[in-house]
Amino acid sequence: MTVVAIEHLQLALSGNQVLRDVSFSLAEGECRALVGESGSGKSLTAMCLLGLAPPNAVLNAEQFSVMEQPLPAQGHRDWRGWRGRRIAMIFQNPMTALSPTRTIGAQLSECFRLHRNMDRRQARAESAALLERLAIPRAEQRLSQYPFEFSGGMLQRVMIALAVACRPKLLIADEPTTALDVTVQAEVLALLRELQHEQGTSLLFISHDLGVVANIADTVSVMYAGETVESASVASLLCHPAHPYSEALQAAMPRLHSSEMTVAIPGSPPDMRGTIHGCAFAPRCKHRMAICEDSPPLLASPRGAGVRCWRWHPDYPERWRLQHD
Amino acid sequence: MMIKFVLHRLLWGAITVWFIATATFFAMHAVPGDPLIQDKAMSPAVRAQLEARYGLDKPLSQQYFTFMGNMLSGDFGISFTQENRRVNDIIREHFPVSATLGIAAIAIALVGGVFAGSIAAHYRGQWPDKLVMFMVVAAISVPGFVIAGLAQLIIVRLNAAAESTVLPVAGWGGVNHVWVPALVLGLGTLAYLSRLSRAAMLEVLSSDYILAARARGISGISLFFRYQLRNALLPVVTELGPAVAAITTGGFVVELIFAIPGLGRYFVQAVQQLDYTVIMGTTVFYGAFLVVIVVLVDISYGLIDPRIRLSAGRS
Ligand SMILES: Nc1ncnc2c1ncn2[C@@H]1O[C@H](COP(=O)(O)OP(=O)(O)OP(=O)(O)O)[C@@H](O)[C@H]1O
Ligand code: SF4
Ligand SMILES: [Mg+2]
Repeated sequence: MTVVAIEHLQLALSGNQVLRDVSFSLAEGECRALVGESGSGKSLTAMCLLGLAPPNAVLNAEQFSVMEQPLPAQGHRDWRGWRGRRIAMIFQNPMTALSPTRTIGAQLSECFRLHRNMDRRQARAESAALLERLAIPRAEQRLSQYPFEFSGGMLQRVMIALAVACRPKLLIADEPTTALDVTVQAEVLALLRELQHEQGTSLLFISHDLGVVANIADTVSVMYAGETVESASVASLLCHPAHPYSEALQAAMPRLHSSEMTVAIPGSPPDMRGTIHGCAFAPRCKHRMAICEDSPPLLASPRGAGVRCWRWHPDYPERWRLQHD
Repeated sequence: MMIKFVLHRLLWGAITVWFIATATFFAMHAVPGDPLIQDKAMSPAVRAQLEARYGLDKPLSQQYFTFMGNMLSGDFGISFTQENRRVNDIIREHFPVSATLGIAAIAIALVGGVFAGSIAAHYRGQWPDKLVMFMVVAAISVPGFVIAGLAQLIIVRLNAAAESTVLPVAGWGGVNHVWVPALVLGLGTLAYLSRLSRAAMLEVLSSDYILAARARGISGISLFFRYQLRNALLPVVTELGPAVAAITTGGFVVELIFAIPGLGRYFVQAVQQLDYTVIMGTTVFYGAFLVVIVVLVDISYGLIDPRIRLSAGRS
């Protein structure tokens, strides 16, 4: 079953086209990473999947479905049954994502009571069991503690518990380890991976760290200026990036066994307040051609990646090389 | 420990009350005027007898220590103007009236303020928000006695139109005597608290934990009471001490205008007539009352904010 199918998703916020063309799919049990620079629209895409885009958002999509059912309109009442139940999300900063005035137990039990119709006692027992499964010591006592009594790593485990409590089909993790100590990042990632396998959940993993992505994901979609510019398997993207922006990202990855300096991508992403004509990456692209003034369609690379770049057009290079010179 | 914290606050409160008592005592005696002037002229002999009765023939410092001694034993003496009436009795009889009015006013201000503030925040920039903010400015800038007069005028018109007494214009007795003056008394505080809750609610609404709670499918009433209101109340509760103080002092005027036999009215009368014992008794009583309220507010703040409750419990 296809768990997520998004085709040509567009989103405007007070007239600014912040998502211009997001397309990707996610199979059952698959982990897809969404990577890209800050502001490329990763979090907004995630929020749309929960119906939580800002109230002034105008959304358009050819296909926007989860578990082969079209999702309700943003902000509509019909999200009951989706949010927290079939789709769940883990946020970047666990220190601010829990209400400071309610105990961990109260917030966790609430999920079981809301989505699985348990009574107070059952929900509490289930909460304790889940925290234990997530390797939180003294789970029973910790249920009556407040978020400020937890460390960042422990809190992110709680957030994971909140997210997987109802065994969602789709789990979205928006930079789940960015706010954590380096020492606990690996633990949290390992736990996430484990749970994903255990529950057969599909995972949409948002990150801008290709190193982490290489560890956890099966497939990657690269976002640039509100567009998915390349979708490929992790191996293909890391070894043979097809889009010039992916190439630049891959080149900018820090390497463990090399003294060679990483190359930062020159230039900056386009201003989303204006209309973008042609390929959005063109001003920073070293392969730019005359035809890049037109928007490139989604093309297939020989290795099976979906790429939005004229260089993968069947007629390239015969037709355009001359225009470039 | 919580108890230690409370005792500490109460000790400071006692010092505050002592300071208020002393300052009031000397300020009162410095005011020109004669507390013993009654309607009739009195003979020097009667006057001397009265002065002796109230201890006014003693030097001021001695009067001060006598007063302090009596106050510590809980006795505020006898009223100058209402002969043979003990100040303690005046307080006992009339404070419950003021307290009823005050509690009603605080309740209206708190519930109304938090409600209006929450609505304004949820509809930020839209007409409900603009309406609330307009009423806030109006309620804060129009003085209380104008609002009181306006309220009475409306009641008079209402009664005339209905050709019966829908609402009493003034006085004290039934439930209908309470809520109009309570609304008038609480209006300024209501306005202030709505502005405060609006700001607090806006902050809560933009927080990560509300987004995260909504992402978990929590919505409607649960979201409002468990997540939004509970967190937005924290800054409001800290302002309850000043709110009670504002309503207590505001009560003096409202009691006069609505002819309510509360303690505030006696306090104002006492000041006008230089009734030394009633001034001292009511001042010290009000001072002590406010000190206790502030401590209670601190405690209740600790009860809703676990960060404060637990750190106070552990230190
Ligand atoms: N609530 C909002 N109102 C207006 N614009 C917004 C809002 N949220 C996001 N944007 C804009 O939408 C674009 C995409 O933002 P988004 O948060 O999805 O980026 P991101 O890829 O998650 O970046 P980061 O790596 O920094 O998290 C940005 O240009 C941002 O300015
Ligand atoms: S379409 Fe042209 S400008 Fe855009 S990435 Fe490809 S080569 Fe570069
Ligand atoms: Mg983001």
